[in-house]
Amino acid sequence: MSEQLREPLIEVKDLRVEFDVRAGIVKAVDGLTMTINRGKTLGVIGESGCGKSVTARAILNMIPKPGKITQGEIIYHRRLTKEGQPGLDDVFDLTKTDPDGKIIRSIRGGEIGMIFQEPMSSLTPVYTAGAHINEAISLHHLTPVRKVGDQLAEQVMAHRKVTKEEAREIAINMLHRVGIPKPEERVDSYPHQLSGGQRQRVMIAIALSCEPAMLIADEPTTALDVSIEAQILDIMRELQESSNMAIMFITHNLGVIASMAEEIVVMYMGKVVEQGKVIEIFRDPKHPYTQALLKSIPTLGKKKTGERLASIAGMTPDPFNLPTGCVFHPRCPLFMAGRCDKIAPTWKEVSKDHYASCLLYEEA
Amino acid sequence: MAITEKTETTTIAKQKQASQSYWSLVWWKFKRNRVAVIGGIILLVFYFSFVFIPEFLSPYALDNTSNYTEAGPTRIHFIDQDGKFHLRPFIYGVEKKIDFTTRKRIFVEDTTKVYPLQFFVHGDPYKLVGLIPTDIHLYGVDQKSNPDVRVLIMGADALGRDWFTRILYGGRLSLMIGLIGQIMTLLFGTVMGVMSGYYGGWVDMVIQRTTEFLGAFPDIPLFMALAAAIPSFWSPLAVYFMLTLILSFVRWGGLARQVRGMILSLREREYVLAAKSAGANDSRLMFRHLLPGTMSHVVVIATLSIPGMILAETALSWLGLGLRPPLTSWGVLLQDAATVRAINTTPWELWTVPFILVTILAYNMLGDGLRDALDPYGSR
Repeated sequence: MSEQLREPLIEVKDLRVEFDVRAGIVKAVDGLTMTINRGKTLGVIGESGCGKSVTARAILNMIPKPGKITQGEIIYHRRLTKEGQPGLDDVFDLTKTDPDGKIIRSIRGGEIGMIFQEPMSSLTPVYTAGAHINEAISLHHLTPVRKVGDQLAEQVMAHRKVTKEEAREIAINMLHRVGIPKPEERVDSYPHQLSGGQRQRVMIAIALSCEPAMLIADEPTTALDVSIEAQILDIMRELQESSNMAIMFITHNLGVIASMAEEIVVMYMGKVVEQGKVIEIFRDPKHPYTQALLKSIPTLGKKKTGERLASIAGMTPDPFNLPTGCVFHPRCPLFMAGRCDKIAPTWKEVSKDHYASCLLYEEA
Repeated sequence: MAITEKTETTTIAKQKQASQSYWSLVWWKFKRNRVAVIGGIILLVFYFSFVFIPEFLSPYALDNTSNYTEAGPTRIHFIDQDGKFHLRPFIYGVEKKIDFTTRKRIFVEDTTKVYPLQFFVHGDPYKLVGLIPTDIHLYGVDQKSNPDVRVLIMGADALGRDWFTRILYGGRLSLMIGLIGQIMTLLFGTVMGVMSGYYGGWVDMVIQRTTEFLGAFPDIPLFMALAAAIPSFWSPLAVYFMLTLILSFVRWGGLARQVRGMILSLREREYVLAAKSAGANDSRLMFRHLLPGTMSHVVVIATLSIPGMILAETALSWLGLGLRPPLTSWGVLLQDAATVRAINTTPWELWTVPFILVTILAYNMLGDGLRDALDPYGSR
């Protein structure tokens, strides 16, 4: 059923973000186009510094200081009636909003939640877990999270401030949902009393406490160990199912993305090089960069011992001095002299719903 | 039954330990520093007695003049002329005489007149803490029956006023000016520092240049210029508040710079970004997320710089630029004692000095203790 329903939530069109630093201009995001659909997970993968996090920040209009959105738009389909089925969408461009204004602040956290890579430092040390969740709730003047069969009460309570006891109850409830043991005690814990996994769960609880339409997860499990990572991913999947939330999952871990996302965007130097369904990309990667990425995953049992793991040759290029033509050509194993270093590839549909930008799929 | 009770209490104790907040850890560490605790207790006692109950502690009202002009400290006796010991101390009446060789006025004890010293004695009426009307003083000679007798444990000034009374009342203004001034400095300094560090750019520029500008002035001449600008027809109280303002205005710069420096590093922390992505606005980020991180440092700085505030008031008043009579502060009292003649003839007027010294010392002891307790990397 969910296959046919593809309602766009965020459409990024030809986005360009530049950082004007002393040494020159860095194009952190260079003509990026992608669509995030309601209730779906979009995986974004790429090497460090390829513009994944900057894209996420651009969606919330939170580009750090010297950076600027120089081109493109981020269309946000804002659902006005949260509960009603045929909701009216208010469609507008997020890049045009005032970065300190009321609209974007109500979207941040309220409609688009975000969790970060570093759970260790993402909580303000002087506030308890409960205080963090309450802050998020009170910032968005939310009504208590509905319990089953509580719909009526929710409507009555709309646009009313939450009392202290209610807020505490919500916080405990949220902590319980993200699987924190003894939430009645943990709600009063300070960040330094929580473990890394617990802090990341608290972060998720904060992000989810306002029932956002979308969650941006910026490498949420990179700093955690593998068993905690699996738990966090399970929690995210469960919560997504129960609240029909879109997730933009940023990572460089291919294993994680395979289990989380339905669709994948592969980024390289601020550009999308390939996009498609998870299965297609893993089974039949089209772009040489994606192919190289997939080859660099160690697999159990398949290879002879002693064989070296494949790696991508060379280094990511100097951002101030990008290669001509296709930016990947100096490292590309399928480099075609005379073409790749001259012509910039265009966006091509190589098979159904599977796009790549590579000259291999373009006629000479 | 008893066993379950015991296990219950231990689990509660464990939970308490597990959820010990930062401040409870600080308190625990502070308590073990005996010097700092002593400093804190001295200050508590001083502030309580000088600010809230000087009327009760002093035997007379501040404006109670007598003909005990420049009388030395009254001797308090336990043993009478006959060598008999009295449990209740007493004083003798005095007779004013002139020493013909030195041409000085001297007070000679008249052993025939004996006045017992009493606790909780009736005297000048006053309002306790400004609310409760009463006339009970901690000690003294009953004034109803002997209105002309004075017990002056630290002597009297040129108008015959009890010096100890003046020190108590003076302490009220001097201690309060330190505290109120410091609170204003704190507000000024932290708000300016946080804004400076958070916004950066031209806001930072303006604030930092202002602090540099203020810092470039030598302190005393700047005080003098500002204090001289206070209109002379203002009521002493208005002058007092103006002076507090001036003191804090000159001193907020240092604090603002330190807070700015801390904010510069704190604002790069991930939790600020996280709070922002949750929809927090600038003022919330600044004052709810960033400011608490600087608080431990600010508390120490504030404690250690209150003495400077008190000394500045004292110095200004001593120069005649701060508080003026009829207000009484420690600086005003020092001014009385500042002549060679005063030191020669009425040395008891220097009793003000130990009070100032002890206050300053206590603040430094407390401040050092706080610094050690609040430093998370301290090894002691």
